[in-house]
Amino acid sequence: MTSPARDPGLQPERTALAWQRTVLGVVLGSLLLAAVNLRVGQPVLSVLAGLLAVATLVPAVLRPPSGGLPRDGVLRSWDFLVRVASLVGVLGLLGAASAVVSLV
Amino acid sequence: MTSAAHEPPDDAVSRGPGARAPDDRRPRSVYGVGEEPDVRFSLANERTALAWVRTGLGLVAGGVALTSFASLAEMSGFVDVIAAVACLAGAGFAAYALLSWRRNERAMRRGEPLPAPTGLPVLVAGVLVLALLVAGYAVTEVWRA
Repeated sequence: MTSPARDPGLQPERTALAWQRTVLGVVLGSLLLAAVNLRVGQPVLSVLAGLLAVATLVPAVLRPPSGGLPRDGVLRSWDFLVRVASLVGVLGLLGAASAVVSLV
Repeated sequence: MTSAAHEPPDDAVSRGPGARAPDDRRPRSVYGVGEEPDVRFSLANERTALAWVRTGLGLVAGGVALTSFASLAEMSGFVDVIAAVACLAGAGFAAYALLSWRRNERAMRRGEPLPAPTGLPVLVAGVLVLALLVAGYAVTEVWRA
C-alpha cells in the first residue's frame, strides 16, 4: 500500500495490533509454561519453553510484522503467519508433553 | 490488470514508482492465481487468520493452566489427559489458521465467494466437549468429597 492517503478504517494499524497481541500471547504462554515446569521440577521442558519465548519475541522486535505497509507495496503475510502458527504449534506440543510427563 | 497500460494506476493497484515488480510471493498456490484484491480485504483475512492463531493459543494456554493446577494441587491424571488434548487441539487450530487463510485469499483473488468456515463447528464442538469433561470431573470431585 504505497498510497499516501490513510485508510479511514485504519486496517494496517488494526492488523499490526492483531500481530502484537498474538505475539504477546505466545510469549506469555511460553513464559507461563516455563515457570510452571520450573516449579514442578522439569528443567528441560522449562528451558525449552523459555527458548520458545525468546524465539518468539526477538524476531518480532527486530523485524515487527507491521500488518501491511511493506516497502514494495505488496503484502507478505504468509511467512509471518507460518512462523507464528508454528510457534503456537510448538507451544501446544510442549504443553502436551508437560501434561504427559506429569501424568506418568 | 486489464487497462493498466494506458491508465494511471489507482491506489489499489499502484506499486510505487516504476513498473510493477514480478510477483514472487509465496505460496504460489495463492499468489499464482487470480488478481490482487483490495489490500483491505487481504489485511482483514490476515487478521482473521491471527484470530484463529489466538484461538489455538487460548486452548494451549488453558491446557497449560489445567496441567499446572493438576500438578500443583495433585489432581487425578484425568485432568492431565484433558490438558494434553486441549494443547494438541490448540496446535491444530494454529495449523487451521494457515489453511483457512490460504483458502480465503485464493477465493478473494479469483473473485469467488468465500468458503464456509469449516473450523468453526469443530471449534465449538471441541470447546463444548472439553467444558463438559472438566465440569464432569469437578462434579465427581465434589461428589466424592
